[in-house]
Amino acid sequence: MHPVRPYQICTRCIMDTSDPLIEFNSAGICNHCRGYEHQKQTMVWDEETRETRLQALVGAIRNSGKKHEFDCLIGVSGGVDSTYVAYQVKKLGLRPLAVHMDNGWNSELAVSNIKKTLDTLEIPLDTEVLDWEEFKDLQLAFLKASTPDSEIPTDHAITAVLMQRARQHGIKYVIMGSNVSSEAIMPSSWSNGIRDWKYIKSVHARFGTVPLRSFPRFTLLQFIFSRTVYGLRWVNILDSIDYDKARAMKVIEDELGWVYYGGKHYESIYTRFFQSYILPRKFGYDKRRAHLSTLVMSGTITREGALKAMEEPICEEGLLRQDKQYVIKKLGLTEAEFEELMARAPRTIADYPAYENTLLLRVLRACYRLPRTLKAALSKASPGGAA
Amino acid sequence: MVGTRVIPCLLLCGTRLMKTVKFKDARYLGDPRNAVRIFNDKEVDELVLLDILATREGKAPVEELIREIVSEAFMPVAYGGGITTLAQAKRIVQLGVEKVILCSAAIRDLELVRQCSADLGAQSVVGCIDVNRNMLGKAEVWTHGGTVNTKQDPVEVAKRLEDSGVGEIIVNAIHRDGLMKGYDTALIKSISSAVTVPVVACGGAGSIEDFRSAVDAGGASAVAAGSLFVYQGKFKAVLINFPTQSELESVLQTR
Repeated sequence: MHPVRPYQICTRCIMDTSDPLIEFNSAGICNHCRGYEHQKQTMVWDEETRETRLQALVGAIRNSGKKHEFDCLIGVSGGVDSTYVAYQVKKLGLRPLAVHMDNGWNSELAVSNIKKTLDTLEIPLDTEVLDWEEFKDLQLAFLKASTPDSEIPTDHAITAVLMQRARQHGIKYVIMGSNVSSEAIMPSSWSNGIRDWKYIKSVHARFGTVPLRSFPRFTLLQFIFSRTVYGLRWVNILDSIDYDKARAMKVIEDELGWVYYGGKHYESIYTRFFQSYILPRKFGYDKRRAHLSTLVMSGTITREGALKAMEEPICEEGLLRQDKQYVIKKLGLTEAEFEELMARAPRTIADYPAYENTLLLRVLRACYRLPRTLKAALSKASPGGAA
Repeated sequence: MVGTRVIPCLLLCGTRLMKTVKFKDARYLGDPRNAVRIFNDKEVDELVLLDILATREGKAPVEELIREIVSEAFMPVAYGGGITTLAQAKRIVQLGVEKVILCSAAIRDLELVRQCSADLGAQSVVGCIDVNRNMLGKAEVWTHGGTVNTKQDPVEVAKRLEDSGVGEIIVNAIHRDGLMKGYDTALIKSISSAVTVPVVACGGAGSIEDFRSAVDAGGASAVAAGSLFVYQGKFKAVLINFPTQSELESVLQTR
């Protein structure tokens, strides 16, 4: 456990000491603001070269799929980012295959948003349905493990399914909805291990009861293999365009009939409940703080606006009660069992076997980041020189 | 409001939601609780749940799952699969199920139909006839999830079920199941013109236009469909959907 420290909030964004690892400089500005700027500099394409680079990228993607039915893969959840990716790739003239992963927690809005989007844009869909008895067991295992990473199994499985479908259809590009302008800030202590099969496996080995036979997975080696030997590319397209979330929402509402569901990732009932009930009550933080901080940094809202938004209830009380009942019932728990899980002392990934805790991974990660770090350092040394 | 009831027909194998093609090759669709919840939010009129393994494996209905589903559903739910006694039927109604569906048991045992009808009321008892056409195109009644051929004529069976007190009859065409190429309207017509109780067409719906032909050409009072409400596009991606009221109004008469 991290030692309790006096409350402090960043003077620039609204991140605070609910991230136990946050650091502030002498001006009271936090490491996340600096991290945001670093990401913006290294990952978001600048305005002058954007168009040329985008055309080159689109050309490469088209070229890679010449002999196939599809030239890229997109994941769809019914949420803003993935819906806007679908809209963009069609606008860029690409031939995408959409993949949806059903983990048993879809809301009606999620499925109807997916249907409207894909029907309007004429994008074919493929769905992977997770075996509910297995997945339920895995979700329960993470609740029992008492780490804040209960959403990791879903994210891991999505990545695995995308890798699998890409190979099946000979696709070399996966177009992702991740983006700096609305997602750059997320404390590492708040969520860990998306690509860490060793972690997921070890948590399940310790707390699970049903064997994971069909759960989509990949090892670190398989991931490296898919990038190096197979040549799979993961493209964050929203960083290559001028992405403004509010504007994007307006576009998909008007043109696709998409409907908003009230909070980041709230298109999944479990995510909605996990983020608005379990995380704040058990782990003491509110993910909206990171989302809003990112929007402050990207200039989408003011710091005052973000602080005001934090005063709003995280989820409507009636809906939260309804979700709680549904989650408890669907996971096959009793009220008392659920409360016992809530009362367990919080733990972290460090308490379980994981790639994350091995020296090998740290070395590999440093090597992987080296070119980007060098490039950033160079462009800082001679502005304009490395563009 | 659309006058014809449009009913998603969900198949269970125990606690797993599945979809078949010609009653075979069952494909996993996910957790039935969540599917029902989505249909709930889509405000469907009515839901049919059929456990397609229960009778074949000689198992009783999975009461726990039925209870969970019904407690989640705002719409009337009809359940079938594995019901062989009046006590079981009563128990299922007590769980909150609106109608019990009798398939194999009804065809073997008309006395069960009479008892259920007398005890629960005809409106709560549905007869389900699984029909397959043989090589010569003759319609025959099958039972036990499409594994046993009784060689009986579906029209005769339907008449007997009506006489024994069922409130409606679902006609499920095995040879059309999961193909999404349209209902066997001739089959539906032969039955709907022989009985006075409502007939529900099931098996083969591939588009909402098929609903109209089941009603106009087949004389069906209600239409049920599986694949159409759980699949999307050419890859048959699993995605729960249901037409909007205005889409239904465009093909079906309004009341």
